[in-house]
Amino acid sequence: MNTMRLVTHSAGMMGRHKLRAGFMMIGSFIGVAALTLVVSVGLAAERKLLKLAHQMFGESSLMIIDGGGHMMGGPRNPGTRLKIDDVDAIAKQVPEIESWDPQQGLTASVRRGDLADTAQVLGETERSEHVWGRPAVQGAYFDDSAVRSSERVALIGQTVATQLFGNENPMGQEIQIGSVPFRVIGTLEPWGTDPHGMDRDNEIVVPISTLMRRLTNVDTITGAKLLIAPSAHEDQVVKSIETILRERHGLTADRPNDFSILTASEVRKVMNSIKRILSLYLPMVAAISLLAGGIVSAALMVASVNERSAEIGLRRAVGARSEDIRLQFLIETAATTLAGGVAGILLGFVLAQMGATKMHLGAVAPWSAALLGIVSSIVVGVGAGLWPAQRAARMSPVDALR
Amino acid sequence: MIELNGITKTYTRPGGEPVNALIDITLQIDDGDFVAIVGTSGSGKSTLMNILGLLDVPSAGNYRLRGQDTAGLSTGAQAQWRNKRIGFVFQTFHLLPRTSALENVELPLLYSDRVSIRGLGRKALESVGLGDRTSHRPSELSGGQQQRVAIARALVNEPDLLLADEPTGNLDRRSANDVMAIFQSLNQSGRTIVLVTHDAEIANHCQRIARIERGRIVAYERVTEPKIALQGAI
Repeated sequence: MNTMRLVTHSAGMMGRHKLRAGFMMIGSFIGVAALTLVVSVGLAAERKLLKLAHQMFGESSLMIIDGGGHMMGGPRNPGTRLKIDDVDAIAKQVPEIESWDPQQGLTASVRRGDLADTAQVLGETERSEHVWGRPAVQGAYFDDSAVRSSERVALIGQTVATQLFGNENPMGQEIQIGSVPFRVIGTLEPWGTDPHGMDRDNEIVVPISTLMRRLTNVDTITGAKLLIAPSAHEDQVVKSIETILRERHGLTADRPNDFSILTASEVRKVMNSIKRILSLYLPMVAAISLLAGGIVSAALMVASVNERSAEIGLRRAVGARSEDIRLQFLIETAATTLAGGVAGILLGFVLAQMGATKMHLGAVAPWSAALLGIVSSIVVGVGAGLWPAQRAARMSPVDALR
Repeated sequence: MIELNGITKTYTRPGGEPVNALIDITLQIDDGDFVAIVGTSGSGKSTLMNILGLLDVPSAGNYRLRGQDTAGLSTGAQAQWRNKRIGFVFQTFHLLPRTSALENVELPLLYSDRVSIRGLGRKALESVGLGDRTSHRPSELSGGQQQRVAIARALVNEPDLLLADEPTGNLDRRSANDVMAIFQSLNQSGRTIVLVTHDAEIANHCQRIARIERGRIVAYERVTEPKIALQGAI
């Protein structure tokens, strides 16, 4: 018994039943395409999220945000009480805090002559570069004296530079934020687009004192990022900050916090739940469509086995063992679903690449998705083939020939 | 070649009385013989054929094929015997649709342990006069041609026993004559042939006739002057 001969023959048999093979292929084609799409996009999104979380939080840091509430990005009570002095006081009193940077921002129109742009303007201190980990790629950040004397200097992101200067060198040039002139002293490292679709390169960093005095005219800040020592106990630091802030804000025991503290571990928790959705639930939904395709294939093959009972009987009569019959139907099913699956991988991958580009997720990894697609179509193919193949193998040759 | 001794086959249909399809059949078929098994439908002749072809096993009795007791054969060994030593021809041809004549003829080779199968299918088709029809599909062939393809398939592994179950049942007179001519020439070259039919005219082309009635062999006699079929004579 020459197994290779039988394998080739069985794979070739599918071409004799084009309509059925076509339906079976469509089933695995759609399922595998969906799975490849979801997994590829999920992986790319996950990578992007992790990178972003690392950018924002690094290894050990936390954020104080003006206003109560406890959900990241959820609605907060409009707080107007957090001040630079609060953050300075915390930094002085909590020894585990290594560095800190208060932040205030607004969206403003930026002009240079006839060229205009609407950009996110962030007020920061000279510690911003270290705390946020975003270096200047050209020029340098302002120093503490610039913050003290509210100098009108600015670092601009890539998008702002392109909008206002094209290919010209922006260094030392003057731009107007609102109606206030600033001198460009540097450009920021490109960060691309975040998952909310915000262009992080359409940002301008200016001294926080300048921003508050000349642009927003308020004495409160939106928040602050604090770097804490890697050895510090996060919970204790959070407790200390809470105590200090509640006291400074004169909050009695029955009043809730008018600020929120966002810790790296809390972000990690949110990240993990997003990861679970991306890497478990979404692929599960796609897998269900693949399962449906597999069931369709199995049903079509069972119908085929019944319809081809004379063929099965004949094969037995000319010397096929029941194992040979089983193998034949298994290969027929698996070869068909695999063919559909491979086409599905291609479609899924193209769609994933298009989607990822649209969502600014960067390139999707082709190999993991292709491997998953091939493995899942083989599994579905063999799974769908098992029952019909068993049915065919169990037919008695005498009954099958009748 | 074939020795049947007290063969009985009993079917038990679910919820019904047991049916005796064959009762105490004792029959000997010699090497190179050409035997017609004749009976009405339901007489048990197809069941006997299935047992001879190792497609079914008797409920009782002893079947020796080429001196070997078949009772001890595993299903795998049975399949191997069917592949190598027995060729089947059916009333309804049982050709695979949408498959060329040559591929149909080569089907038994798929399950063979031969190392080289090159040219065997073509040779078998040529031996039934269809060397020029290799790439035709069954739907493009006449009934007689289809049955000749099926005979070529039965011959491709060069078995020495041919079992034909009503091989002319679906054919016109002319095609039936051609098929019988092929069988007679195969028999003359030494092959043992057992043919089931209900047609006395066809049976008279054989060397011997075994009559079967309600599961029993009632007569087994030599045909005094077998009719001779000539290719294309009608």
